[in-house]
Parts: sequence; C-alpha cells; structure tokens
Amino acid sequence: MPNIYLFLAFSALWVIFFLYAWSLSRRQARLRKELEELKSSLEGGRGVWKSDVRTVEENSQPPRTT
Amino acid sequence: MGKTLPTVHLLVTLAWMILAFWMIFLYAPQELTMGEVQRIFYIHAPSGWVAGTAYCMVFLCSVVYLWNRSPLADDLAHAAGEVGFVFCSCLIVTGPLWAKPAWGIWWTWDARLTLTFVLWMLFVSYLMLRSYVSSPGRAATLAAVVGIIGFVDVPLDYMAIRWWRTQHPQPVIAGGEGSGLDPRMFLTFMVCVGAFHCLFSYLLLQRFRLAGARRELSALRRALAIRPSED
Repeated sequence: MPNIYLFLAFSALWVIFFLYAWSLSRRQARLRKELEELKSSLEGGRGVWKSDVRTVEENSQPPRTT
Repeated sequence: MGKTLPTVHLLVTLAWMILAFWMIFLYAPQELTMGEVQRIFYIHAPSGWVAGTAYCMVFLCSVVYLWNRSPLADDLAHAAGEVGFVFCSCLIVTGPLWAKPAWGIWWTWDARLTLTFVLWMLFVSYLMLRSYVSSPGRAATLAAVVGIIGFVDVPLDYMAIRWWRTQHPQPVIAGGEGSGLDPRMFLTFMVCVGAFHCLFSYLLLQRFRLAGARRELSALRRALAIRPSED
C-alpha cells in the first residue's frame, strides 16, 4: 500500500508548515501587544516619554546664570 | 504600502502552491517503476533546495555581520536559519517516507543522507546557540561563526551523490549524461521549486519583521530603563 506513504509525506509537509506559520503569528501577536502596551504606558498614562525628551533637551542647555 | 506588499506576497505564494499541487497530482505523469509514491519527489527535492538556499543565506549574512556588525544582517541570518530549519525538517521527514516503499528501508547512513542529517543538526545547533547564550552580541557572533564553518556541509551534501556511490539515487537534475526527467515531470519539478522558494521568502520576511519588532521593543525598554527619575 505505497499510497499511504504519499499521504503521510504530504500531510507531514502541511503539518510542519502550519505549525510554523501558527507559531510565527502567535509570536507576532504577542510582540505587537507588548509593543502597544509599552508605547501607551510611555506616551499616554504619565507622559513619561515626552517629559524624558524635554529633560534631555533641558539638560543639554547651558546652565542658567542668575 | 505597509500591509499591501505582504498580502500580495502571500496571495502569490498561495496561488503558486495551488498550481504546484495541481501539477503534482493532475499534470505530471506517473513514474513507471515506483508508481504514485514517486510524487513525493516533488516536495522532497524542493525542500532540500530551499534548505540549501537558506543555509547559503545564513553563511552570507554571517560574513556580513562579522564584517560590519550590521544588526540587519544578524536578523536576516537568524530568520534564514529558522525558516531553513523548517524546510530541512520537511526534507528529513519526507525522505524516509519515500525510502521505505522505494528501497524497503527507512534510513541508511550513506554519504548523502548522513550529510543531510548533519545539515539539519547544524540548523538545530545554530538556533540552540542563539537561544541559550544570554548576551545578544555574543550569541550573534558565535552563531555567525557556526553559520560560516557549517557552510562546508552544503556543497559536500550537494556533491555527495556525484562523488560517491550512495543508496540515494543519482541526480536527475544537472546530473550529466544519462540523467534527466520527462519534460512534464521537469516542468512540475521547477514549478514546485519556485513555489517552495516563494513560500520560503514569505516566511523569511515575516520572521525578519518579527526580529525588527523585537529590536524596537528592546530599544523602548532600554529608553524606559534609563529615563531620569521624576522626583
């Protein structure tokens, strides 16, 4: 019954491809979610990202003299 | 543009794969001695070609990485290593499923099969090295060295059935006098090689984009870690 080998070979090929595609899309979704969470925590909630930029710019200014 | 190109790439890949599978089962003639089971050839050999292409990419990107420390070359090498491992696994799995009905045995340690197994082990060790070395820079350097040294296996594997007597059949493509395929078989085979390379390029680009996103995330985390105190 050699056709069983043909069936198994083509099935194995698709199983391997689908498992990899599934693992790739899962990793992409998880990373995208992490990225969005981090971005929103930096920009939205406390305005940390913007205030950091201001702090760096302020730090690069020469010290004020009174 | 951001999502259009990957979608078009995916659609082209799917269309090409459908055409390839239609040709395998409905266009290519049945082989006289092995019968239906010979159709495994159309997925087994292209998987091997793609695995070879993937390792060539690992080699080239590793050379570029060691030359100029480009993170993009490192990401591409890593992506090619991972997707190459997938295709090499297809090669390793479909081979014995063809060998059993054709030769009566699942596996033999002849030159071609042994060198293909070594190639698969090289992909495994390359990926394990990248996972287990904690420092990203050190992991990239060590992986690049493995990628370059391991490349020796690719031409040896390709030439094994030309240089030595093996259980594995002699080449039917570029095999010299006496070798060759029926024109319809040859066309089907080339369509399959194209379809597999198209699928490889799609998966490679997706994996490469994933590496880019991971790098962006690390940069954001570093920015968060070094931000000055608000107090």
